[in-house]
Amino acid sequence: MLKWKTHTPEGALDILENECALKRDVEGRIKNIFNSYGYFEVQTPTFEFYDVFADESGEVDQTSMMKFFDREGRIMVLRPDITTPIARLVATKLQGAVMPKRISYIGSAFRDGDAHAGAIQKEFTQAGVELIGQNSPEADAEVIAITIKALLDVGLTEFQIDIGQAEFFKGIMQQTGLGSDAIEKMRQLIDGKSFVGIQELVDEYKIEDNLKQLILELPNLFGGMDVIEIIKNRPLGEQAKKALDNLIEVYNILIDYGYEKYISIDLGMVQGLNYYTGIIIKGFTRGVGFPVCGGGRYDNLIGEFGKSVPATGVAIGIERLISALSYSGVKFEGTPEIHTLICYDKSRSTAFKIANGLRSSGLCVEMWLGGDNANEYAKNKNIGGIVKVIDDENIDIVNLKDGITTRTSIFDLLGGEEI
Amino acid sequence: MRYLTIALAKGRLSELSVEIFEKIGLDCSEMKEKSRKLIFTDEKNKLKFILVKASDVPTYVEYGAADIGIVGKDTLLEEGKNLYEVLDLKFGACTMCVCGFAGGKIPSGFIRVASKYTNIARDYFTSKGQTIEIIKLNGSVELAPLIGLSEVIVDIVESGKTLKENGLDVLEEICKLSARLVVNRVSMKMEKARIMDIVDKVAEKVK
Repeated sequence: MLKWKTHTPEGALDILENECALKRDVEGRIKNIFNSYGYFEVQTPTFEFYDVFADESGEVDQTSMMKFFDREGRIMVLRPDITTPIARLVATKLQGAVMPKRISYIGSAFRDGDAHAGAIQKEFTQAGVELIGQNSPEADAEVIAITIKALLDVGLTEFQIDIGQAEFFKGIMQQTGLGSDAIEKMRQLIDGKSFVGIQELVDEYKIEDNLKQLILELPNLFGGMDVIEIIKNRPLGEQAKKALDNLIEVYNILIDYGYEKYISIDLGMVQGLNYYTGIIIKGFTRGVGFPVCGGGRYDNLIGEFGKSVPATGVAIGIERLISALSYSGVKFEGTPEIHTLICYDKSRSTAFKIANGLRSSGLCVEMWLGGDNANEYAKNKNIGGIVKVIDDENIDIVNLKDGITTRTSIFDLLGGEEI
Repeated sequence: MRYLTIALAKGRLSELSVEIFEKIGLDCSEMKEKSRKLIFTDEKNKLKFILVKASDVPTYVEYGAADIGIVGKDTLLEEGKNLYEVLDLKFGACTMCVCGFAGGKIPSGFIRVASKYTNIARDYFTSKGQTIEIIKLNGSVELAPLIGLSEVIVDIVESGKTLKENGLDVLEEICKLSARLVVNRVSMKMEKARIMDIVDKVAEKVK
């Protein structure tokens, strides 16, 4: 046998019945929440031209894209995210659409790299919303509110949504007058909350004192609203001040949603700054060492496809969310089970009619296909009872919990319904 | 209250870490008893200490299996994980160097480089624009130039004694190294008060 014949690749998983039922249930609930806010689902191809994702401001590095060639030698990729294809779709297929346009999606995305079941998979499921055509705090707050509502609805209670503002860091860096290489170094250190490294760098670049103080504070500027109070009176330039005001406004709107207890602030959130142009969002919960959701405002992305439109959105990582749910012990009701097994020797058509009658009353019914011992099979599978068809009118019902067999008529079983 | 987990690199770094933790009032007495245990608890502060291989510390912390870790900068550079690197603990100080025969310099052109730290070696020579072949070794790296396996090595130099005894010397310094305190990105958010309390107290001690 070939060496890898019986394996799945690292980062790609088989999902068995119980987990699959749970996953579909979670996806279904999230989809319902999205719909209830007017975000209807679209689907884009699982693979696309590499060019779609290859722009410089793209969020995903080319080394983490899974690539292949088509017959003409063009580079294709398995989509590393779903927001970018939606940006393409909006710029090309939805040119006359009424704005703002609300869109949701749910599907697999693919990224190459280290894999770790539950947290980092090469194939993973993203469910998300995009609010397109409006740059306003209301729009940003709406996608955050939907995310919170969705997390609550699937049963997560202890989580935290961090909001930051990409323009805040960009503004402060502009005030320092540093070149782009120095800014990138600074960004990496602040992203890593490397207090010492930042100190060394601001000393090296001889940044003026009050700005220096501000930069040193950046990695510490996360937590509750007191963070904003601390920073408000610092010597902020125009751009940073505007960013801060925007953040405060989004927060105030979320208070009116009644969601302030889930929100915290992180002004040191500086990942994906080529991509994000305003609010940045990341969601955390216990039991998963990685964010369960993320997103933000990306006003330049759609423009790369030929039509400049502002947009904001959030994506939820379904596998991480499920890990978090099982960590926090959320009980799941919908585990698949068989209620009844139907056996027959003769009267086959009657047996089928009984099965259909029970199925339409909401039960999950299996037909006995023959073999050794129906009772044992049913017991091993935890099936509640067996219906043995005697003839066209009579049946035996075996209750497998107490082992009692009752003779009754088909008429009685189906409650007098026409069969 | 939930336990916070602290991952320590087995060996000398963990001993020095324990010293600092005791100075800030954490209870590490369990760790000082001679035993083969790998998990130790401080019930009063609701802490768990785990002892793992140095190169695994960043992995435990990245996945959130540990909230905090103490590990050498060399391991962080080599493993390249996505963590908060909040403190330089100053101890365990040493230097990552390119070493070769004493009195020489790094040959130009294509050379073979032996190292435990293949990523660091590759990054360094790439940034110099020199094409190299990396030879991954797991120990006694000094041997490689002596028997002609490679022209130079990339390794940690503390006192330089081993190098000297084998007729080798530092040719170029790559970077300074020391122990770092790292924190998982989610833990930092979910347990800010408790983690920053430890971080601030440790920072005070290593100033």
